[in-house]
Amino acid sequence: MALADAAQHHREPGAGADLARRVLGSPALRLAGRRLLTAIPVLWGVTFLTYAIMSSLPGDTAQIILGINATQGDIDKLNHKLGLDQPFWERYWHWFSNLLHGNLGTSVINNASVNSDLGQRLPTTAVLVGYSLLVTLILSVAVAVLAARRPNGIFDRLSLGVSTLGLSISPFVLALLLQYIFGSQLRWLPVISGSIGNNPGTWFKTLTLPAMALGFGLFSVYTRLLRADIVEQMQREDYIVTAKAKGVAPHRVLLRHATRNSLFGLITLVGLNLGTLIGAVAIIEPLFSVPGIGAALIDAINVHDVPLVEGIVVVFALVTVLGNLLADLSYAVLDPRIRYGRSTS
Amino acid sequence: MAAQLPSAAMIPGAPPLLPPLVSSRRLRAQSLSRTLRLWVPAGLLILLAGMCFLLPIIITIPPPTGGSILDANAPLFSPGHILGADPVGNDVFSRICYGGRIAFEVSLAVTAIGMASGCLIGITAGYFGGWVDTILSRVLDVLIAFPALVLTIAIAEGLQPSEFHTILALLVFSVPAFGRISRAATLAVRELPFILAARLSGTGGWRVMVRHVVPNIVPSIATFSLLGIGIVIIIEGALDFLGYGIQPPAPSWGNMIAQGQTVMDVQPQYVLVPSLFLLAMVVAVNALGDALRERWGVR
Repeated sequence: MALADAAQHHREPGAGADLARRVLGSPALRLAGRRLLTAIPVLWGVTFLTYAIMSSLPGDTAQIILGINATQGDIDKLNHKLGLDQPFWERYWHWFSNLLHGNLGTSVINNASVNSDLGQRLPTTAVLVGYSLLVTLILSVAVAVLAARRPNGIFDRLSLGVSTLGLSISPFVLALLLQYIFGSQLRWLPVISGSIGNNPGTWFKTLTLPAMALGFGLFSVYTRLLRADIVEQMQREDYIVTAKAKGVAPHRVLLRHATRNSLFGLITLVGLNLGTLIGAVAIIEPLFSVPGIGAALIDAINVHDVPLVEGIVVVFALVTVLGNLLADLSYAVLDPRIRYGRSTS
Repeated sequence: MAAQLPSAAMIPGAPPLLPPLVSSRRLRAQSLSRTLRLWVPAGLLILLAGMCFLLPIIITIPPPTGGSILDANAPLFSPGHILGADPVGNDVFSRICYGGRIAFEVSLAVTAIGMASGCLIGITAGYFGGWVDTILSRVLDVLIAFPALVLTIAIAEGLQPSEFHTILALLVFSVPAFGRISRAATLAVRELPFILAARLSGTGGWRVMVRHVVPNIVPSIATFSLLGIGIVIIIEGALDFLGYGIQPPAPSWGNMIAQGQTVMDVQPQYVLVPSLFLLAMVVAVNALGDALRERWGVR
């Protein structure tokens, strides 16, 4: 069907000029718009839930800051100074109206602006996640294609074994193993990142181990999904039969026909998984002392630093929502069936 | 997932194939490998469960805590301590057994409770549709978009660390996941003819749900729950590792790894041994899930 549709529209006059209009009016874009609208209550729910839970935790923030020997008078004074003695709704409203103005408030621990703190940490995490995701995607596409070339062949079984391992190993165990093997035994890469530097050369040195710990699980998920999808395409789809029948070389059928179509499923999954990936940095970053937002999160929860936790959660939730949105939009741009305004079932 | 039954027959409109040239020996080997794929991981799990729950009852093993300092740092395979003893003299094998109980108990409890409540939400939302679905789905959306690790750590940190609170915290992961899966499965089943037939013959809504919808989504829920058990074991380990779960000296695989981490450069076995058990258990659970998925034809 896809072939027929594409062929029908292929020579339509003025296709280039219409492209923008078609993309803008495409069902995928409307879907993305609707998603964006439903994302707003979800985002609000996430921030509210975090605020409610962080505020209802037992344990007094002022007590934590001042230590165990503080007098009740000091604690009350600090609570008043931080505005923690106001009712919950008032505090939440104060925080929320600041958020709408783009101000995430100030950390109650060191009085630093959450905006500038996150502004310093966010690029580090972004580089780590981006590096990890890029390498993961390249590797999993390559491995999946090689595995799907001969289903149940040696390479296929090998990749299945590796991906089962990747799905089963805990990220923190993997991180410790990588530190032990590559850090303290082989001494190829430093165990502790500290500052990550600001050029790809130092990134490679400082971020390769954390990126591996972060990416192995995803690599397994992506490889399995893509391999299963390619195998299914190769066996079921009409256009594969057509391609084979007209004498296209086998590797071309695999790469240009099946894999290209299977990549859509992968794109959706990457968009959906972005949230999970961001969550995993909270475990990986402290282990490698990467100064990103994940490392800050655990500290912030421990000292009940509500504004900082909220700021990080807002970033996480935004990334999740944007990831889903990007997946929808990439459909609109990449898939000709949708680009040409045909909704397919 | 891996078994490819004669697949060319699936191409619609293809001419009937010649009888496949497969020898009976090869067929037998295939069925044997199918059986093995199910029973090897299942056997490994039974073995692990027996080791954790039955072995300490049948034979006397040293207590997991309060070991003699004279045994400190006993190497692997030393007499009396088959997996050695940790830096304060506790028997590592015994700690593995008692820590394994935690892994089994927490993962089973979280999955069972999460499945029950998540499926109740998901099936209700999927079956009744309308505003019920809208509200329940929004709630699930919030919980899924929420970085669950934050909530889990916050709950585990705010309440006193204990096994029960760990279970409570991990439910944050499992309830929305089961809710979403069961809702999707229900939506797929709802449109099938036998549901319409049941409704037309006057069966009430709840009865249709329990007698007709639930039995048909069991395969996808069951295979997903195995996946869920694996994830719960991993996250429980992470919580213990970060110090929010089971508190030392009480043993759990996660806190054993955390304790061993400090001496990893010189004595890696304190990290490697519990990691290996953790890995073996999750691999077994995942492999069992794969085998069942293949058997039941669940995607």
